[in-house]
Amino acid sequence: METINKISWEIRNDIGIITLDNPPENYLFQPDFVPLETLKKWTSYDYLKGIMICGAGKHFSGGGKLENLFRMIRDKEDINKKMEKGKAVLEHIENLDIPVIAAIQGICFGGGLEIALASHIRICAENALFAFPEVNQGVIPGLGGTVRSYMKSGFPRAMKLILSGDMINAEDAQEMHLVDFVVNKHKVFDHSFTFLQKLTRDRPLTVINAVMKALKNARSLSMEEAMKEETRIFCELAVAEARRRNGSGNQ
Amino acid sequence: MEFFREFGEALYFISLCGEFHALIISGHGRHYSSGADVPVLLKEINENVVTDERGKLQHIPEFLSKNYESFLLLESLSIPVISAIRGVCLGSALELALFSHFRLCGEEAVFGLPEASFNLAPGLGGMYKLCSMAGLAFALERVLKGSTFSAEDALKHGIVDKVVPKKVLIPAAFDFARQVMQDFRVEKRGLYIKKYLS
Repeated sequence: METINKISWEIRNDIGIITLDNPPENYLFQPDFVPLETLKKWTSYDYLKGIMICGAGKHFSGGGKLENLFRMIRDKEDINKKMEKGKAVLEHIENLDIPVIAAIQGICFGGGLEIALASHIRICAENALFAFPEVNQGVIPGLGGTVRSYMKSGFPRAMKLILSGDMINAEDAQEMHLVDFVVNKHKVFDHSFTFLQKLTRDRPLTVINAVMKALKNARSLSMEEAMKEETRIFCELAVAEARRRNGSGNQ
Repeated sequence: MEFFREFGEALYFISLCGEFHALIISGHGRHYSSGADVPVLLKEINENVVTDERGKLQHIPEFLSKNYESFLLLESLSIPVISAIRGVCLGSALELALFSHFRLCGEEAVFGLPEASFNLAPGLGGMYKLCSMAGLAFALERVLKGSTFSAEDALKHGIVDKVVPKKVLIPAAFDFARQVMQDFRVEKRGLYIKKYLS
């Protein structure tokens, strides 16, 4: 197990686990909650088939402490640069070509929610609570939370969530497509881990990477471009599989 | 392979001739279709691709790019295209259905993109469509597992527009076609579903 800035990393079987490890609320120290270089190193093991992000103890994360951010501004730190670094970390997570699941229990606020939204699948406990409380201190989510919540929930519901700063429960979060699955509160970790294993255990990494790439294209390319890429990806897998079958046929 | 060639030609004819008011796609007999014959498809691709020494593809074989072009043509038709789905609807058959403007299905219909279980992935826009209709988590789970899902699940995730008893599926598709062809415009898809299918 490795730890940096109260974020831990371990690998169990072929699943990497990132734990926001600053209990009880697992507050994040800075926008790039884990340095990009460290994250890249962690996620570069070529046998990894999936990643789970969770919080230590009862909560996922209360997000960043805004007082820290305001202090950085007072100390004339380049806050925009910091935020760009944070966004790069979340983009790295979102663009990984293995599935990333956020396993959420307790509070999932602000930057914590932004981390969850950058993951591919969100599984939460029935007692989970979600909010973008930034507005209460005169700011807005700044790590892509406005964009990603809008993409998931549509304009009216994203606007209500961000502008009100109000908390919503697991049921409402699922109703507005902010989370994908709601499970028993004692089972979030196990359920998410098992889910990820079942998703990937029978699949070679080439297939997992191909599917993740195609689904990334579905979000970022036009339909024509995404379809062309999908057919190209399919062809590459088909050639490999045809040769594999021919190979084994000759033996 | 033969299917796609004939399908492409028929579609081209329909798009030019202007005498049809709606198109219903259904399967003969109990099922819609279980998609392509994988061994045949693999053989065809392996014989038609050009790869470099690292196994990287030089270009997509023409017969495959024609397939997805015909799906794009299907979607761009100015008449309503309705898939009426009974029984199994798997792989490229589901992709075909996803490029129709509307999908009606029988209660017992079964859907899936099982390609990953053959070490492949859907290749005709199935991942694109599933992701944009049902969201990343649903698409990721179904495609990676290759597992099937029910009519009820498909309806819940916006993949089909209406589920009916299978005995009345074809008449229901015809009724709907007659209603929607009066003033069909693809942008009004949601409106037609609300008006005629809910």
